[in-house]
Amino acid sequence: MSAPITLTSSDGVEITVERAVAERSILIKNMLEDLGDSGEAIPIPNARLPRVLTTWQVNEAVLKKVIEWCEHHKNDPPTAGDDDDNRRKTTDIDEWDQKFMQVDQEMLFEIILAANYLDIKALLDVGCKTVANMIKGKSPEEIRKTFNIQNDFTPEEEDQIRRENEWAEE
Amino acid sequence: MPRPLPRARVSSEAPSETSSSTSPERAADDDTDFFMAQANDSQSSIGVANFRDSHVQSSRSAPVPPIGRLPPEILIAIFSKLVSPLDMRNCMLVCRNWASNSVGILWHRPSCNNWDNLKSVTSTLGAPDSLFTYGDLIKRLNLSALTEEVSDGTVAPFTQCKRIERLTLTNCSKLTDKGVSELVEGNRHLQALDVSELRELTDHTLYAVSRNCPRLQGLNITGCSKVTDDSLLIISQNCRQIKRLKLNGVSNVTNRSIMSFAENCAAILEIDLHDCKLVTSPSVTALITTLRHLRELRLAHCTEINDSAFMNLPERMTFDSLRILDLTACENVKDDAIERIVNAAPRLRNLVLAKCRFITDRSVQAICRLGKNLHYVHLGHCSNITDTAVIQLIKSCNRIRYIDLACCNRLTDTSVQQLASLPKLRRIGLVKCQAITNQSILALAHPPRANHPMVSNLERVHLSYCVGLNMEGIRPLINNCPRLTHLSLTGVQSFLEDNLTAFCREAPPEFTQQQRDVFCVFSGEGVTRLREYLNRDIRTTRGETEATMYDDDEELDEDEGQVTGLMHATDLNDEDYIDVGPTNE
Repeated sequence: MSAPITLTSSDGVEITVERAVAERSILIKNMLEDLGDSGEAIPIPNARLPRVLTTWQVNEAVLKKVIEWCEHHKNDPPTAGDDDDNRRKTTDIDEWDQKFMQVDQEMLFEIILAANYLDIKALLDVGCKTVANMIKGKSPEEIRKTFNIQNDFTPEEEDQIRRENEWAEE
Repeated sequence: MPRPLPRARVSSEAPSETSSSTSPERAADDDTDFFMAQANDSQSSIGVANFRDSHVQSSRSAPVPPIGRLPPEILIAIFSKLVSPLDMRNCMLVCRNWASNSVGILWHRPSCNNWDNLKSVTSTLGAPDSLFTYGDLIKRLNLSALTEEVSDGTVAPFTQCKRIERLTLTNCSKLTDKGVSELVEGNRHLQALDVSELRELTDHTLYAVSRNCPRLQGLNITGCSKVTDDSLLIISQNCRQIKRLKLNGVSNVTNRSIMSFAENCAAILEIDLHDCKLVTSPSVTALITTLRHLRELRLAHCTEINDSAFMNLPERMTFDSLRILDLTACENVKDDAIERIVNAAPRLRNLVLAKCRFITDRSVQAICRLGKNLHYVHLGHCSNITDTAVIQLIKSCNRIRYIDLACCNRLTDTSVQQLASLPKLRRIGLVKCQAITNQSILALAHPPRANHPMVSNLERVHLSYCVGLNMEGIRPLINNCPRLTHLSLTGVQSFLEDNLTAFCREAPPEFTQQQRDVFCVFSGEGVTRLREYLNRDIRTTRGETEATMYDDDEELDEDEGQVTGLMHATDLNDEDYIDVGPTNE
């Protein structure tokens, strides 16, 4: 077993974890490989996601949540692979993950963004499935309500979309 | 409102290269065409569309909700998890941002599984002022569900779609060169084309493919019997990324084009030359020798192929990629060749030697060297084979899941008792092994395995014309094989009683009355119902165990199409005849 790793959140809090846990993040894994094991704390750099509006950071609360997930999944077989059918095919989520994802929307999306940034594919996947499950079976209006989204279509445009995508209604 | 109509910009210009990490592939879908069933080495990508009139992009005055923080690639990843087109369509109606990011997923593979859908899709494509340039978003087009309803006119609206990656037209038999070549024209991204059973197609279409589709990876022209070497030669020179090639029944194919594929298309993984009778041994030698990734080689009914195909392989070269070899009815392939290929391709997993009728125990002894790698072996009609060889095979290759020994009529109960010890055996074919008795079946029902739960994994058991069988063997088999879904007993007299045949499935429509009289196949629910019936009154069938002699004249139907199934593997969706594919390695 190699030495534990200390991660620093964007708001300056240090959290120490097993290396195997930290390495669920491909970003961190690559950093560790690049840096060598210097024993120094690894700051999570400010995330500047391409095409996102704000500069966004992995703060302590989110980082803790992500680490909790990585702890639980540290013994999962090494990356199920991008083209693993099971991962793609369904929106099935295992029970522990479902519970884990029972958080407010704010936190849910923070986790998804963190998983994307830290490159933890399986967590990103669970996050996306969770949101997809919130969409399934809902009408457009119900979806807007669920996520607090404003309808910026004109009625004509809405009609046109319905018309042009009629085949999808079956 | 004036619409300046800048054509929708689709963000991923060259989809396959740029999209690998950020834009997730579409959720696996229910396409069942030839290429889709394969490992996904050519995933297609989702387009992100902009509204045609981009000046109307909403001004963001409202506060951004939490979900508004998600960048487009994550929204797309979320929408990609949706399966139902209706859910996707509903996402489109949520707001403009969602519409832009979901429309590509919805139109990635527009569902054209019935005529109404197709009409709706084509009318949208034809509309001059649509909100999106939908045609650019279509990456997969599958019209195979509509079969002969599809004409050249039907596909005309799709000629504007120039980003198709998979085009599946299986069984759309009315289509001609005109329709298909116009569809192909300009589609530089086409990766997979399935035009099987489009019998009108000629070289003209394949020339269009060779001109337009340098990225082609999969080509299935099964049954396109007018196609010749001339166009295939050009394909082999221009489409060098080909991985999967199915030329079943393209009877004009000769060594000329096949040798050219061997020479030019190093990426080939699978090639199927079923019934390409003009192909001879030098092609086979060239394919195996030069295609270092070749994993599946199907040569059923290529009757000209003989031992030299394998004897001429370079000394000491091994072919570790080769997993599947089908030599059905290549009866000029004999023991020497089998010894050679088994030594040269030690990782063969599926070996089909049905009707290689001259092979003997020597071949089987060679096959033993495949050991644990061998999962699937078909030796039907190899009637020289004896118990000695089969017993050795079972001892050497204990991972066999599927074995067929139909018409190996020298085999006795000794072989089957050994077979019963295979821990993973799921399917066994013993049609017309007339020497076997209830002793064999009892062994299958009670597998003699050490340290193993006494539950059989058997799913499919073929015992037609094993005339020595009766209820004493079959009842325990049915009761001890909880996974049994198929049991064929055609021509076995003890089962041709009305009270039992009541649970049979229907005989195929093309059967004659004589064939119907002896037809006896239990499948799916039928097995369950038969089991229930037998257990209801255990004594009903006692004493009815006299077997009648098997009548040689009824040779034609050994089983529900056992033989024809092998000849027309593509027609059948019976898993028996279809390779299990590159799953669970």
